[in-house]
Amino acid sequence: MSKLQDEVDLLRSIPMLANLPSNKLKLLAFASDRVSYPAGEILFRQGDDADAAYIVISGTADVLVSSDGSSTESKVAELGPNSFVGDMAILCDIPRTATIQANDSLDALRIKKEHLMDMMRESPELSMSVLRELVQRLAKTTHDLSIARDEVSRLQAS
Amino acid sequence: MPDREQLEAANRPLDKNLMRYIWRHTKAEQIWILCVILASMPTYFLVLNLPVRIVNEPIQGEGFDSATATMTFLDFTLSLPSWLGGGSWVIFSGFELERWPYLIALSMLFLALVCVNGLFKFYINTYKGRLGERMLRRMRYQLVDRVLRFPIHHFKRVKGSEVASMVKDEVEPFGEFIGDAFVQPVYLGGQALVAFVFIINQSFWLGMIAVAIIAVQMTLIPHLRKRVLVLGRMRQVTARMLSGRIGEIVESITAVHVNDTSNYERSELSNRLGNIFFIRYELYQRKFFIKFLNNFLAQLTPFLFYVVGGYFAIRGSLNVGQLLGVVNAYKDLPSPINGLIMWDQKRTDINIKYAQIVEQFNVKGMTEAEKQAPSDEPVLPLTGALSVSNLNVTDESGSVLIEDADFTLPIDGITAAIGPLGSGAGAMANVLAGLTDPTSGRVRLNDTSVGDLPQRIRGRRFAYAGNESYLPQSTILDTLLYVNKHAPLRDRDTVSLGIKIHPRTEAEALASGNTLLDYYADWVDYDAMNITGPEQVFPKVRDSLELVELDETIYELAMRQMLSPDETPILCEKLIEVRQDLRKRIDGSPLADLVEVWDRSNYNEHATIAENLLFGTIVESDDFKIDQMVEIEHLRKVLSQLNLDRDLFEMGVELAETAIELFADLSPDNPFFEQLNFMTPEQLEDYPPILGRAKQLGFEGIEETDKRMLIQLTFGYIERRNRLRLVDKDMQERILEARNAFHGTLPDSLKDKINVYDLSTYNALNSVQDNILFGKIAYGLSNATEQVQKFIRELLLEKQLEDDIFTIGLQFDIGTGGKRLSENQRQRIVLARSLLKGSDLLIINRGINAVDARAQDRLVKKVLARARGEDGHKPFGVLWVLTTPSFADRFDKVMVFERQRLLQMDSPDVLAGENSTYQSLVE
Repeated sequence: MSKLQDEVDLLRSIPMLANLPSNKLKLLAFASDRVSYPAGEILFRQGDDADAAYIVISGTADVLVSSDGSSTESKVAELGPNSFVGDMAILCDIPRTATIQANDSLDALRIKKEHLMDMMRESPELSMSVLRELVQRLAKTTHDLSIARDEVSRLQAS
Repeated sequence: MPDREQLEAANRPLDKNLMRYIWRHTKAEQIWILCVILASMPTYFLVLNLPVRIVNEPIQGEGFDSATATMTFLDFTLSLPSWLGGGSWVIFSGFELERWPYLIALSMLFLALVCVNGLFKFYINTYKGRLGERMLRRMRYQLVDRVLRFPIHHFKRVKGSEVASMVKDEVEPFGEFIGDAFVQPVYLGGQALVAFVFIINQSFWLGMIAVAIIAVQMTLIPHLRKRVLVLGRMRQVTARMLSGRIGEIVESITAVHVNDTSNYERSELSNRLGNIFFIRYELYQRKFFIKFLNNFLAQLTPFLFYVVGGYFAIRGSLNVGQLLGVVNAYKDLPSPINGLIMWDQKRTDINIKYAQIVEQFNVKGMTEAEKQAPSDEPVLPLTGALSVSNLNVTDESGSVLIEDADFTLPIDGITAAIGPLGSGAGAMANVLAGLTDPTSGRVRLNDTSVGDLPQRIRGRRFAYAGNESYLPQSTILDTLLYVNKHAPLRDRDTVSLGIKIHPRTEAEALASGNTLLDYYADWVDYDAMNITGPEQVFPKVRDSLELVELDETIYELAMRQMLSPDETPILCEKLIEVRQDLRKRIDGSPLADLVEVWDRSNYNEHATIAENLLFGTIVESDDFKIDQMVEIEHLRKVLSQLNLDRDLFEMGVELAETAIELFADLSPDNPFFEQLNFMTPEQLEDYPPILGRAKQLGFEGIEETDKRMLIQLTFGYIERRNRLRLVDKDMQERILEARNAFHGTLPDSLKDKINVYDLSTYNALNSVQDNILFGKIAYGLSNATEQVQKFIRELLLEKQLEDDIFTIGLQFDIGTGGKRLSENQRQRIVLARSLLKGSDLLIINRGINAVDARAQDRLVKKVLARARGEDGHKPFGVLWVLTTPSFADRFDKVMVFERQRLLQMDSPDVLAGENSTYQSLVE
């Protein structure tokens, strides 16, 4: 019926949100903004205060990170449709850990921090899925780190 | 400027006795009014006497024995009483008049005397009234004058609203009393004495009866009144505490809401009001009992006259004529006696109230008036150093704030003080700023003790920014300039102020002992700001706001402000030009997608249906509001003619359904409600039953009120924002049709209630930004708002209008306590004005702790650069009690505090070299 339905479907396809009851998903869709970005536009910058999370609807975006205050940013990942981005910073009230830049023209759903936090308070299922997601990311990061450590010690040895 | 005598008078404690206070200030007036009353007595007596004569002589014909008989009118003979020899002199022999002319003459005389008597009363009453008002003004002024001189620590015990209630309400009854304070007893006492002398003259013993009864009254009643006076005092104190408590409730309203303590507050209030009730009720009982007793005693006297006097008359020792004379004379005695008793009651009552107030305002340790004496002489810049020896500060509860501090602080030094909260750093800053008095030890500026300096030295040469930022309601500009208003330096310019000043303003201020300093004069000390006059204030103010990074905020405030084309016609006209220019430039540019401009023949998808229908702004009044737009009959007529009401009704059903589905189970303060733009949380409860009826009855069957509620719901719907796909192309066409029909047949009565969007007219009901934009910023495009705002700003800069807009922002009203600004903005304002002040030493006592860390970093850098005289600014000293100790290495000297003691004071390099407390704090 309404355009909202597309957005509800989109939200449902995000693993973290999939367990939410449909009226909550609809509320989230209703309350979030649908935003279009032209190619090259920045969604947010590393170090900024975080006020929202984003779900990519269409198009792709680069994840750029600059280490230790250097002005050059290196691309660490690329985001495609249905990726959820910017969630970590709003959950923990820390500054943005990376810069997100639209690759081509990009459509995204912008969910305000207080709305997502409120949803989490209301729905233990959501909190659990967020937790699960974060733990998975942590596991992956730890895995990557150990590989990187091995690499470093191998390089130092040679 | 006040002279010595006035200053000394201000230093004396207030008179403990009200009568003495009144006599001190109104001696001459009291005597004068007494003379006037005495002068009015003969007329008063004649007015009472003349009617008897008119009835007896011309009407009943006494003395007109024949038709041609005459009487003398206006003869005036002065005769001496018999005990002075009884001679008499004819001053004026009068006219001989016949009966009819005599009646007219006497009646005319009566009329004339009534007028004179009335005028006397009028004069006396206004005179007394003015006397009372002047005293009231004097008292209020003196009380607040003392509040201004209270020692700072005293304010920990004082509630603002209690002081306000004392100054405003509790002194109010004094005004009425002051005029009567001395006149009444003299006047009534005189009357009583005359009647009394007459009674004694007739019969000594009956006179003695009257004396005895009066004696009983005079002893019994004050005795009974003791409790009444106590109750009166209790009533006053409880009422005062009530206003203090109400003030507290208002101040702590957020705590009431977040903790659900409203019922506790209600019960506390009810308990308090109950106590007040019982006090007042007992007061009434006792007061009326005294009244009863009084009346009874007054009636007892004639009873005794009849019994005792009658007995003597029957026995023959008193003749009947004498007895009647005494009883007649007694008729005149009770009312002055009662009046006297009433007056005395009022006097004691007011005296107690007065004593209650005075007690609160005779505070120990008040600043001497000399120290606050106004002076328009410039205070020369300070040089040298503040030397502090053996400084100890203990607060009222006995806890030590700072112990044995010795240091020398050069006025022009750049010094930081670090240490945890309560370590003594803040207390030290407060002592130097004069906010806390040292308990022992000395603070000297070069060789003078700082405590002996008049306030103007520190008040003008020091600047202080603490972390408490209560700002009285005012505009931003006035808040900034407040710190430089020490004395009226330039004469007022009443013409440009547009204020009418009463010609007696100064004379009356003098008569009430108020200050003569002209409020409307220009008080701003431009020299201190290093400028020559008001025309140079703007760049200075702007510069200081830029330094504290508030300029953007001010600009944004200005853009949200509403302007009236009547008040600022030129600016509004220029803004229209900007609007037209903006329109030309965005056509075909990338900005065109970001703004949807108003166009009479296009539907604006980024605006509400209401705005699209009206194509204008509603001039809101009590019975004409945007959220009751459906009540406009003309609009309903148009909608039904086009059958649009049915569509809107269905749309309303859908909106209500969606809103209920999504929001019904959320609490009204849930953040999601911000997104529900077409309905309020309260309305959400009204709609489910309406929705039920709508589904059951349909458009045809539903009641008019339900229908209207549903249609009203659609008016707030914005297609691009709510994204429910309710307004398609076809619908847009039909709404446009309705728009045209609405305006095509707009009745005259509605014409001045809607400001129609017109490219060449400034709309007073829209913000500056909306006026320039003349359209809506698009939803759903990244950074649309920022880009559009940036574009507008560039355009304003190009047109050289940016300063005008900024000026409008400076006129923003900051609200009570500055609450329309955030804490962090208030702290920045306080810092900005401390910089604007042009002082020699800037003391910042954790002054920007609400500002985020990165901004603090920038602000410290910028302020220190200023203090060091970069960019050609006048250098000044800084003493900064830092919230973030890691900034300390930017200062020349650092004072390290721990446990109320000054541990070290040295340059940061030296301190960093030692492995010290400094290191542990900074890291």
